[in-house]
Amino acid sequence: MEGRPLLENEWVEAARRGDASAFEELVRLHQEIAYRTAYLVVGDADEARDAAQDGFLRAHAALGRFREGAAFRPWLLRIVANAARNRRRSAARQVGLALRASRESASGDAAPSPEALLLADERRRELIAAINTLRADDRVVIGLRWFLEMGEEEMAAVLDCPRGTVKSRLSRATARLRDALGGSADG
Amino acid sequence: MDDRTFVELEARLADLGAAIAFPATPPLAAAVAERLRRPAAPRRWSFGRSLAIALAATLLLAGIAAAFGIVVGGLRLTFGPASFSPGPSFRVGPGLGVATTLADARAAAGFTVRVPTLSALGEPDSVYLFEPPSGGVVTLLYGSRPGIPSDPETGIGLIITQFRGDISPEVFEKMINSGVTLDATRVNGLPGWWVAGGEHFFFFRDANGKVVESTLRSAGPTLIWEEDGVTTRVEGVGSLAEALRVAASLRASATSSPGG
Repeated sequence: MEGRPLLENEWVEAARRGDASAFEELVRLHQEIAYRTAYLVVGDADEARDAAQDGFLRAHAALGRFREGAAFRPWLLRIVANAARNRRRSAARQVGLALRASRESASGDAAPSPEALLLADERRRELIAAINTLRADDRVVIGLRWFLEMGEEEMAAVLDCPRGTVKSRLSRATARLRDALGGSADG
Repeated sequence: MDDRTFVELEARLADLGAAIAFPATPPLAAAVAERLRRPAAPRRWSFGRSLAIALAATLLLAGIAAAFGIVVGGLRLTFGPASFSPGPSFRVGPGLGVATTLADARAAAGFTVRVPTLSALGEPDSVYLFEPPSGGVVTLLYGSRPGIPSDPETGIGLIITQFRGDISPEVFEKMINSGVTLDATRVNGLPGWWVAGGEHFFFFRDANGKVVESTLRSAGPTLIWEEDGVTTRVEGVGSLAEALRVAASLRASATSSPGG
């Protein structure tokens, strides 16, 4: 835990000095979270790719304004999210979140029964369908917290709101999700 | 809310996280590195299906977001390490739209098209209309004229481009080499810019979000300003004074007075 942030800061410093390979390394480190963040915001794979790429390029250009010693990832994600928001309006269509193809049961002997798997899948499908009925903002908040497992600082950066607002936005979104699930299942 | 419901819902959300099908992350590191190595390569840009245009995005694409920009109406002047290669010859590419007549362009444009009334210029030799941005872009092309030599490569002397300046989603950009100078000036009493001293470039996005080069690779100095919601660019005259004369002569109707 001690070494990694330090190393990242070194990369940031090297990138600031114009070391292109250092920045490339930073992109490699963060491309997945950046891409997925963009995807949550724009809801479209192509737009997300462009937004993430835009975000990285903008971040590169803005490295001079990066505050030394600050956390790089929230700073980066804020930029990526802004790039994504600029594209959200233009996205031709927003694809809702989807589930992975049902995972084949593990080959081990302790695999859950097919019925149990089916039921779990069914409940996930129901939940994701309810999430997809939420407004985009609520979907993003929930996605950041639960699918990208972000903490408050990063959520605040991505949502472009004060840290104190994150919790209330999340809890309102969760309440609306509960309402959307309605009485459809109480198991 | 019932705490238990909340906790259960959160547990279901946590479980769902692992099952979400995010699209595979594209190789951004390679793409970004490539772009940083070659800061501006518009032909390689691929924008998917974006319809309108994100201004910020365009900046980034050039890899020069820290560079400052100046917005004149719908036109953003972007300063950065543009690395466009000079074109071998002028050709009227898709960036200009379709050839039309002045009358048809006037009828089709969503704004009042103005034409210079200097007698030395006469009528434009060609008129082009490019439609995707609301209101369209109208380009007037003039060959050589007294005091305005035509570019030996392109045959173009003077280029006047007009488009609605308040169509903010559509972005018109001018990539400018760092050697270019920019001087604030007044055009018909309004703020404008005189861009001179190096290769610069005009491009914008089409309806599919693709960057379209105007293919007018003129390196000539350019006067840009916004007037009555229309951004106008005059390119090809050698001096600011001449450009201002052209600008001052622009009229909505060059050959006939509007309805008495």
